[in-house]
Amino acid sequence: MEILSLLGSGFAIALTPENLFYCFVGSLVGTAIGVLPGLGPPATIALLLPVTYGIPATSAVILLAGIFYGAMYGGSTTSILLNIPGEAASVVTCLDGYQMARQGRAGAALAVAAVGSFIAGTIGVLGLMLLAPPLASFALKFGAPENAALLILGLLMVGYLGGASMTKGLMMAAVGLLLGSVGLDPIQGTPRFTYGVFKLSEGFDFVLVAMGLFGIGEVLANVEQKEEPEVITTKIGGLLATREEWKAAAAPMARGSLLGFIIGVLPGGGAIISSFVSYALEKRFSRHPERFGKGAIEGVAAPEAANNGAASSSFIPLLTLGIPGNASIALIFAALLIHGIRPGPLLVAQQPQLFWGLIASMYIGNVMLLVLNLPLIRVWVRLLQVPYGLLAPFIVVFVLVGAYSVNNSAFDVGVAVAFGVIGYGLRKLDFEPAPLVLAMILGPQLEASVRRALIFSRGDVFIFFERPIAAVLMALAVLMLLSPLARWALSRKFWEIVGPVRAEK
Amino acid sequence: MTRDIAAVALGLAVAALALSEALGLPIGTLRSPGQGFFPLWLGVLLLALSLVLLAQTLRARAAARPRDDSRIGQVVGLVAALAVYTAVLEAIGYPIATFFLVLYMVKITHPQRWPLALGISLLAAGGSYLLFAVWLKVPLPPGSWRS
Repeated sequence: MEILSLLGSGFAIALTPENLFYCFVGSLVGTAIGVLPGLGPPATIALLLPVTYGIPATSAVILLAGIFYGAMYGGSTTSILLNIPGEAASVVTCLDGYQMARQGRAGAALAVAAVGSFIAGTIGVLGLMLLAPPLASFALKFGAPENAALLILGLLMVGYLGGASMTKGLMMAAVGLLLGSVGLDPIQGTPRFTYGVFKLSEGFDFVLVAMGLFGIGEVLANVEQKEEPEVITTKIGGLLATREEWKAAAAPMARGSLLGFIIGVLPGGGAIISSFVSYALEKRFSRHPERFGKGAIEGVAAPEAANNGAASSSFIPLLTLGIPGNASIALIFAALLIHGIRPGPLLVAQQPQLFWGLIASMYIGNVMLLVLNLPLIRVWVRLLQVPYGLLAPFIVVFVLVGAYSVNNSAFDVGVAVAFGVIGYGLRKLDFEPAPLVLAMILGPQLEASVRRALIFSRGDVFIFFERPIAAVLMALAVLMLLSPLARWALSRKFWEIVGPVRAEK
Repeated sequence: MTRDIAAVALGLAVAALALSEALGLPIGTLRSPGQGFFPLWLGVLLLALSLVLLAQTLRARAAARPRDDSRIGQVVGLVAALAVYTAVLEAIGYPIATFFLVLYMVKITHPQRWPLALGISLLAAGGSYLLFAVWLKVPLPPGSWRS
């Protein structure tokens, strides 16, 4: 049982007082921002990136990962109590969670959501632990053509699954790749697109771009929203769900966990889509679909399990292939790069303390989150009474300090502010910033792989279609490009099943 | 509709910039792609995607979602405040610049009563200076006037 001894060594790392502290802080901050609408996991991780410069890489990843999966727990709270999703992966939880709250079953809904999250999160970590090492050794066989094909497929999926419009998602990916090409050419090492600005010769700093797009961009977008102070009238009631409720929730939790895990592995898939799909499936195959939207416990259990399963499994492509599948994971990728660690197939073998320490911390973090979320639910609800106007200055201050600390320069603060304005403009035009950020970080890798493969094949573009692994990946990519129609049909079907999201209050 | 037309225009503009810049670099051949090879194809791709978006926009009949733009002035104001902040940061120093930026945010962007606004500004500027500059040793500019 080699895996047990490896896991044991992971726990030895995760249980040091220092790492327990970072795991706790990550879970705490994650729950808080999950509860607060208007501040998502990518923005928070971007804000805290500079804080992680001074701590060891393993601790940094433990902290940032905790924020990411912790947000999945916190997000359900506001969905259930106020019909306001704390973050996007909890949108469907509103449908039945809020109805349960109106029927005086808020406590039961919160309990089922927290326990479902815990079970799915733990199953997800288990899957991550078992699948990542073999997948990483398989990925070691990849050469430049396979890498290029994988990156192309990954970026297509991010554009495809990421937002409302596939075209816009892909446009953002193209712009991100262009931004990533500023600086030194990855093959020849000569500068381009720097316009004589010396600071640009290393390219745009990813941290500044992310803090601007997500941090300042979100603040500016929120300035436009009129502030409506939330009055919490919902009574939480007892936190105990009845035996019947647990029984009804058990199978949806299990299905949601599995489905979330599978979808979470796909780039661009992740927590948001998995929660929608699992809700739709539960409703479709329920014997009483008419109960959905009227306070069905299955409609809370399944999506809340799914988004946590997906949060765990979205670490798989990062830790095995070096491909971040969503914006939060991309920022964790950046944190690793800053610490001089390049995520990829070699990570599990070369950084065992990081990989196993992270896995162990995720088991611990899920337990912490269960404890943080169930008994302390009333504390989190109080957090909602803080108006956004008082929160926004602190977000801005964090971005400004973080941007300054990258190179101790006021110029960088300006870069972050400029990307904040760009991020705001993109949101106004219904562009999602996430594909841009992902593409920007993957750009140099993609360019290097494509050019190496072409040099290797003496200019034969069919190299991407002749080697078996690359051919399969490219075939998937082509299928995906040709299937917007199927996607449209699927989404129509989906909305027919789910019905309108904004149920009447 | 107008938003999507603006999105198309933005895509075309970035594509044009990428193409003109890439063509100024050595493109190379398929056998040995040069510096401009990748950006050139990205420019072509972005151009194509913008045209696809244009076609989709023209074909779509649905009206755009109505949006509330009434606070756009506040957004412009905050951006201006941030620009001023960046410009004067090194000269007047982090604590004072941050105090006034936060004061702007809690008095003008999201108005609060004076005591609360002053309290938040002091807390945000002073607290973050203590936390980052004093405790975490981030060399935030103290202000050139002090030396």
